[in-house]
Amino acid sequence: MALFAVFQTTFLLALLPLRTYKSEVLSEPLPLTPESLKVSVNSTRQRLHLQWTVHSLAYHQELKMVFQIQISRFKTSNVIWVENYRTTVKRNRVLHWSWESKLPLECAAHFIRMRSMVDDARIPKPGFWSNWSSWEEADAQNSLGHDPLFVFPKDKLVEEGSNVTICYVSRIHQDNISCYLEGVQIYGERLDRSVSAFELKNVSFIRKKGTNVFCKVDQGGALGGIVLFVSKVLEEPKDFSCETQDLKTLTCTWDPGSDTGLSKQPSQSYTLFESFSGKKTLCKHRNWCNWQVAQDSQETYNFTLVAENYLRKRSVSILFNLTQRVHPMTPYNLFPKNVRATNATMTWKVHSIGNNSTLLCRLELLAEGKVIQQHNVSIKVNGEYLLSELEPDTEYVARVRCAYTNHFWKWSELISQKFNTAEAAPSEAPDVWRNMKMVSGHPTVSLFWKPLSKVHANGKILFYNVIVENLDKPSRLEVLSIPAPARSTELTLDQCSYQIHVTAHNNVGPSPASVIVISGDPGNEEVESGRVNGTEDGFSVSWKPQSGDATGYVVEWCDGPQDLPCVLQWKNLGPNTTSTVISSGAFRPGVRYNFRIYEISAKRMAHLLEKKAGYLEELAPSDNPQVVMSNLTSHSFTLSWKDYSTESQPGFIQGYHVYLKPKAGEQCPPAFEKTVLPEDSVCCKHTIDNPEQKTFVVENLQPESIYEFFVTPYTSVGEGPLDAFTKITTPDEYSHILIRIILPMIFCVLIVMIICYLKRQWLKEKCYPDIPDPYKSSVLSLIKSKENPHLTIMNVNDCVPDAIEVINKPEGSKIQFLGTRKSLTETEFTKPACIYLLPTEKNYSGPGPCICFENFTYNQAASDFASCGHFPVTPQAPPHQLGPLTSPENLLKALEQNYMNSLGEIPAGEANLNYVSQLASPTSGDKDSLPTNPPEPALCSEYKMQMAIPLGLASAPPSENSSLSSATLLGQGEHYR
Amino acid sequence: MLACLCAVLWHLPAVPALNRTGDPGPGPSIQKTYDLTRYLEHQLRSLAGTYLNYLGPPFNEPDFNPPRLGAETLPRATVNLEVWRSLNDRLRLTQNYEAYSHLLCYLRGLNRQAATAELRRSLAHFCTSLQGLLGSIAGVMAALGYPLPQPLPGTEPTWTPGPAHSDFLQKMDDFWLLKELQTWLWRSAKDFNRLKKKMQPPAAAVTLHLEAHGF
Repeated sequence: MALFAVFQTTFLLALLPLRTYKSEVLSEPLPLTPESLKVSVNSTRQRLHLQWTVHSLAYHQELKMVFQIQISRFKTSNVIWVENYRTTVKRNRVLHWSWESKLPLECAAHFIRMRSMVDDARIPKPGFWSNWSSWEEADAQNSLGHDPLFVFPKDKLVEEGSNVTICYVSRIHQDNISCYLEGVQIYGERLDRSVSAFELKNVSFIRKKGTNVFCKVDQGGALGGIVLFVSKVLEEPKDFSCETQDLKTLTCTWDPGSDTGLSKQPSQSYTLFESFSGKKTLCKHRNWCNWQVAQDSQETYNFTLVAENYLRKRSVSILFNLTQRVHPMTPYNLFPKNVRATNATMTWKVHSIGNNSTLLCRLELLAEGKVIQQHNVSIKVNGEYLLSELEPDTEYVARVRCAYTNHFWKWSELISQKFNTAEAAPSEAPDVWRNMKMVSGHPTVSLFWKPLSKVHANGKILFYNVIVENLDKPSRLEVLSIPAPARSTELTLDQCSYQIHVTAHNNVGPSPASVIVISGDPGNEEVESGRVNGTEDGFSVSWKPQSGDATGYVVEWCDGPQDLPCVLQWKNLGPNTTSTVISSGAFRPGVRYNFRIYEISAKRMAHLLEKKAGYLEELAPSDNPQVVMSNLTSHSFTLSWKDYSTESQPGFIQGYHVYLKPKAGEQCPPAFEKTVLPEDSVCCKHTIDNPEQKTFVVENLQPESIYEFFVTPYTSVGEGPLDAFTKITTPDEYSHILIRIILPMIFCVLIVMIICYLKRQWLKEKCYPDIPDPYKSSVLSLIKSKENPHLTIMNVNDCVPDAIEVINKPEGSKIQFLGTRKSLTETEFTKPACIYLLPTEKNYSGPGPCICFENFTYNQAASDFASCGHFPVTPQAPPHQLGPLTSPENLLKALEQNYMNSLGEIPAGEANLNYVSQLASPTSGDKDSLPTNPPEPALCSEYKMQMAIPLGLASAPPSENSSLSSATLLGQGEHYR
Repeated sequence: MLACLCAVLWHLPAVPALNRTGDPGPGPSIQKTYDLTRYLEHQLRSLAGTYLNYLGPPFNEPDFNPPRLGAETLPRATVNLEVWRSLNDRLRLTQNYEAYSHLLCYLRGLNRQAATAELRRSLAHFCTSLQGLLGSIAGVMAALGYPLPQPLPGTEPTWTPGPAHSDFLQKMDDFWLLKELQTWLWRSAKDFNRLKKKMQPPAAAVTLHLEAHGF
């Protein structure tokens, strides 16, 4: 039995090749079913990997076959992908195919099956499909944990702009799951009971840490999420180029563009690949890479630069010849050698390139930042070049750069070196000018010179030599050495002529001499004065040549205003010049500049030709003259402003305007014309067009009138500022006559007054004595002559009274003034209120025997009660005690009281209101013999005489005690006698 | 008997609770530790804001409160109140010390992962401060005579995540690290405040002292 089995197997094995051979020969297609189909999942790349074999092939047989692959999702009936895969199949060869799923593979189970068909041209008949393989399941969900919610794909890396499908798998089968992209809710498609998918289109880069997508169960707290890493699209390297400095190393550079670096993906890498040699190097830097040149003298290089990240590769290539990409290194050791005044030798070195290679070097010479010389020098290692035509004592910059001679590619970097040329003797004589003046009778020459320009100084000027040579008599040369930077010196000479040589010296030697000849006579020649107009460019000065042998001209001026110290300026001009433009930055508008033009003779002597004055720009006068008014009459006055200087004004004074304001309504004087002032007031104006006329007589004025005047100068630009007007009043026409009379009169009156004052005692005796002497009274004589020639002066002794009432007044009787506020007892007034015939001593206090004659004719109170009361008042009596007497009743009472009162006391000098009677006291007889110590107590007798009372006032009937014998009315003036 | 008394007197200065003559005790160092805790709280507020913005939404959203998925190894600061109250000083300090040792280690790992230089600088500065806090706690423990907890060999925490650790979970861990750190700092402030009060001398003694001055 076993033997039979072995035989049968051998027979079948022998038959199989035969069958195959028969198939080939007969071209009969055979069904070759794929076998051993295995499916694996690559979650990172979201790919399904398939591998299978076709076992039915003959040994060494190769057939072209097509495999139809079907992929279903969730269930086998849900076919989502069908693809025919053509390949050549060999016996026992494992075939591979992979498929990328858009949906993350973890979110759904996938089923794969395939069938095959021979698709070989050697088999003419159309084939037929084999049977389907069985379904293979790829389920990544099995590997998930037990979390309630999963989101996929995990940590996927995509490029910016791509579309990404995200899905979640929920184990809790809840509907209330929300998903968010960067915090913003997104909405997707539900694929299954527990799976939903979201398609994110055109994703963009947000941050290096990735874009967050997460889903959460709204109330359950379960949360799942992923980070989507969006990389920037890798850029192609720009400006890729390679060059060598020494033919040994190539340096390739490029612009890498933006960095695609993420925390999930490092920055892109760069690889340099050379196709001829087949070598490559991984670059360590993002934008450059070194390449060692091979020793086998490879000349042509084909470089490919590959930029690569996880998602993309970019490459760029260049092809070049090595010798055409030589960029020499910067030259070094550039130094000046043998530097002289006008030339210098520059030396430098270069790094050698290869063997016996030459470099073309460009040497440039710069002065003040500008290239003034350029030289090309071919060298191998050491460079040297003689720079000539240099200026002495000048700073230069030499710089060198080199290029490969065989093929120019690029200049090397520059190397620079600064150097100064040596000094040389000054090349030009200093420009010298002089100013002559007499100091203490000696001609004094001030010499000025301008510093030499840098071009002519050829070095630092150390000093100036001034050699003075007497031309009139042979003498020793006087040599002065003036250290720089002095620009002037002063020489005191005599009346001889002198020749002065001025030279400037630096370290190397002197300059040519500047010669000037000075005669001993300062020669203040009077020359024509003119004006010169200023323009924006300066002053255009012209002159007329005087003699034909002039060797040149000099224009001289001061650079500042006249009131400042003169900074002498001059300009030398050639012999054929008759005009020039004097310009200076110091010129200012409104300043007068005086120019003097000198002619230089063949003997080097200067003669003044012309004087010119001008303004760069004339201005209106800035101030007005101080005007003095004089000779004021009733019809005219004179104005003068002689101190006003026309020279120091900001323009040429052309004249003056005299403004006059007459009183309102008055016409302008004849020489004036009406004008309107800026403040719209009308006034009269007179124009003086001669600047030297500095007086003016204003005439034809009205007497006793007020005028206002104002004088202002004017230039071509305008007049001075409008100042305040000065007011003046013309006198009366006769006032001078009045003055001639009144003044002497006043003088005389003054003299009389002085005399009167000096003789006042005499006058008093004569005119108004204290006690008039009746015998001396002129009234008496007048009465005598006119009325009664027999009238005489009444004497007391001669008078026989009608009755004399003697009243014995007891001592200390109280007197009560009616109507007064208080009684006299309350005051110190205890003495009898009466009018004493004679004044008593002040110290007399007690009552004494006296006879009181009271003549009311002279009583002031009786005659003029309104003025004061007539009753004795002690000095201590308060003033208010006078008040009650201002009424007639009071007056009468007072009189009664006076009548009844015994003797009192009135201090001398205070009785001016009282009496004065012609009668003398019988006890004294004379006022000069006053009783000093009257006995007391004493009786007092009173004599009452007539009194005059104004009728209107004396309305009250007189009391019984006041009997009036007669009444006499006297004038007011009489009362004061 | 005499020997026993001598022995007690000999060892009396070694008793920490009684050895306070001339020595300020742990009070100032507890106060300093407390102050440092408050300072770190303030510093972390700024750092966490920056770092969570760097992680992006939803981690920087104020109401984001994810489940603690992958952060199981982080030391938990939250504890039952009764349990917290019942902790003795030594345990309290030991827990603080251990927590910050771990958190500091994680934080250094965070620093290595940070992509921006500015963030790295801020994290490094914070790590230095946290190292200072750790030193302060160690000082307090030493002052109180407590030994420092010794790390078990091989249990040094590392920041290297497992292979299954997704970037999202990593971000969650970062979030939890910062949150836990914040909670720990808050808890430490309370711990040290409690400790501080406990170490203060009795108020009555102070009153008596003041009265003595008054008289």
